[in-house]
Amino acid sequence: MQWKLSEEQEAYQKTFRGWLADVAPSDRVRRWLDAGDASAFESRFIADGWAGVGLTEKLGGQGGGLVELALTAEELARAAAPSASWLATVLAVTALAGHPKLVEAALAGETVSLLVPAEAVPDRAPSLSVDAEGMVTGTAARVLAGDIATRFVVPVGAGGVRELRLVEAAAPGVSRTARRLLDRSRSVADVTLHQVPSVRLDVDAVDVLWQASAMAAVLVAADSLGATERVLDLAVEYSKQRHQFGFPIGSFQAVKHAAAAILVSVEAARSVVYFAAASVDGGAPQALLHAAAVKAQVTADGVRGADSALTIHGAIGYTWEHDLHLFFKRAKLDERLFGAPVVWNERIAEGLALI
Amino acid sequence: MDFALTEDQETIRKAVRELAAKFDDQYWMEKDAAHEFPTEFYKAFADGGWLGITTPEEYGGHGFGITEASLLLEEVAASGAGMNGASSMHLSIFGMHPVIVHGSQEMKRENLPRIVSGDLHVCFGVTEPGAGLDTTRITTFARRDGSDYVVNGRKVWISKAVESEKVLLLTRTAKFEDSPKKTDGLTLFFTDLDRDHVDIRPIRKMGRNAVTSNELFIDDLRIPAEHRVGEEGKGFTYILDGLNPERMLVAAEALGIGRAALRLAVRYGNEREVFGRPIGMNQGLQFPLADSLARLDGAELVLRKATWLYDHGKPCAREANTAKYLCADAGFQAADRALQTHGGMGYSEEYHVSRYFREARLTRIAPLSQEMVLNFLGEHVLGLPRSY
Repeated sequence: MQWKLSEEQEAYQKTFRGWLADVAPSDRVRRWLDAGDASAFESRFIADGWAGVGLTEKLGGQGGGLVELALTAEELARAAAPSASWLATVLAVTALAGHPKLVEAALAGETVSLLVPAEAVPDRAPSLSVDAEGMVTGTAARVLAGDIATRFVVPVGAGGVRELRLVEAAAPGVSRTARRLLDRSRSVADVTLHQVPSVRLDVDAVDVLWQASAMAAVLVAADSLGATERVLDLAVEYSKQRHQFGFPIGSFQAVKHAAAAILVSVEAARSVVYFAAASVDGGAPQALLHAAAVKAQVTADGVRGADSALTIHGAIGYTWEHDLHLFFKRAKLDERLFGAPVVWNERIAEGLALI
Repeated sequence: MDFALTEDQETIRKAVRELAAKFDDQYWMEKDAAHEFPTEFYKAFADGGWLGITTPEEYGGHGFGITEASLLLEEVAASGAGMNGASSMHLSIFGMHPVIVHGSQEMKRENLPRIVSGDLHVCFGVTEPGAGLDTTRITTFARRDGSDYVVNGRKVWISKAVESEKVLLLTRTAKFEDSPKKTDGLTLFFTDLDRDHVDIRPIRKMGRNAVTSNELFIDDLRIPAEHRVGEEGKGFTYILDGLNPERMLVAAEALGIGRAALRLAVRYGNEREVFGRPIGMNQGLQFPLADSLARLDGAELVLRKATWLYDHGKPCAREANTAKYLCADAGFQAADRALQTHGGMGYSEEYHVSRYFREARLTRIAPLSQEMVLNFLGEHVLGLPRSY
């Protein structure tokens, strides 16, 4: 058993982190978030070739798998960088298998998004209805990247009879209303379809939605891990710099122990997130259980860590000027995004021999 | 609003504190280790007249309320006597409530003065293996036979049965399925624990070992009708009256253990030096103890309110349940933290906190589990649907 990233993965992590430091320092990130426009970052991300990392060559990506995607998620969160477009696309793009042109377009910036509420687990989200002519009707509230998507992958049908259909966001009958999130590094919109023409995607809908759910769990957990690493860094740095009663506050045990507790959760999170990523990628029999455990545990710990870091900072952490709130809000949304811990715990309970 | 204790209450508290202090931790450690009833301690409290604190004056008691009784048991537990000390007298203090309210004159005249003098030990026979807290599901059956009843059945978790001469015994005189209401058909007796017909087997357990907890196997126990408390079939309502006081008294005991544990933890934190300074100087140890102080103080306030309401004849179920919930948690947490403060020494019997820890844990289970308290609050206070 060897539990470490490969040399290539480490190199990727290092390069991507360096790129983010260069392209997305916090003052620039803040400008994008304040303006509510992440397009400058997104085009640079694509132009510099990151969009295909973690997607198989067969699909049209640059190779790698969920471990690489998790590395990307973790690093994006560490920078509080806008990631709705990227995350929505990697979750939806497998539905486009067999349509190389569409995949290519998606990885070139034409965001594709699953038409499911951002707080739902994709494979349990309500589906929309389709008529005999392939016209789709229905609403999905709070769709990730719903405001910027070029296309939607729409689950349709009732009960077990399900299929996925592709809809152009610009088609007549599509209306969308952007919703403002507390965390501005991600975006959602309510999307309503009324008699919108669609194309059937020739994939196993159940399998694609299952895969999207497991991936969403792992990637959002990886995001939470990245945010927690940063709140810890900020808290430790501040605790050394801030003096009270003649000492740096970091010399007080209550502060030191609080920081140590965050570190414990970071290390625990890193171990399980990458294990779950490998498990889902390898199609392990218990992969969804691993993903569920990771989503439930890591994102809940992320919120606790962020809250503890805020306490260590005192009032300064509550100010707009300080970067802490960027990561605090990121962790908050990660807890809810694609299923709150309670929902994923329920999934775990389903897998146990309970009444 | 007045938060002060009365002069009587202050006097009771001080006197109990002084008397209990005569029995030190060493005494309790030895009694617990030997599984031996604290006879000397019990006698001292009987001689001092404390067992009759709530018994009406006409039967030799003092006629005080549950507030005074809770102060007494709290101080007993806080002296380091813990649950061993409290349980040795707990039922004498308030367990006879159904007899006082519903018993016959003869029954009261014959028994209550003996309880006050300490001569008569009693236990409470309600819970059964097949019923748990679902009391109406008990099956111990009292069949009428002429002027007697003949009882067969099993009881479990009967504290102090080995040491007791008499038992307050809840039975069914009509089967559950034959009773129009599930609370009907239960009958209460106060009678002799005749060893020829009741086999008493102590349960091995993790703590409070100076007072037994027992299983009772009742085989054709003959009870004269005069030993019946009140009317046939009304036993459940008689028991019900005593539930809130019992919760308050256990809350007081939990609070007392928490105080005892905190006292030892603070002493050790000041005395023990590691890395050249007292360990209490570490925030990692000091803060949890300070936090426990705050939680114990908060829990105490709810308990005082609950006993005040009861003694003023006002509804107190919400407060009694909340007090038991908060005191049990605060008491156990204080004991756990005291143990942690002592490090390895906390795990030895010699420093006593491990005994407090084992006993404090009991209060989160007895007389009802914390979860059942939440059931009560959820259903009867918040108005949510019954969850079980």
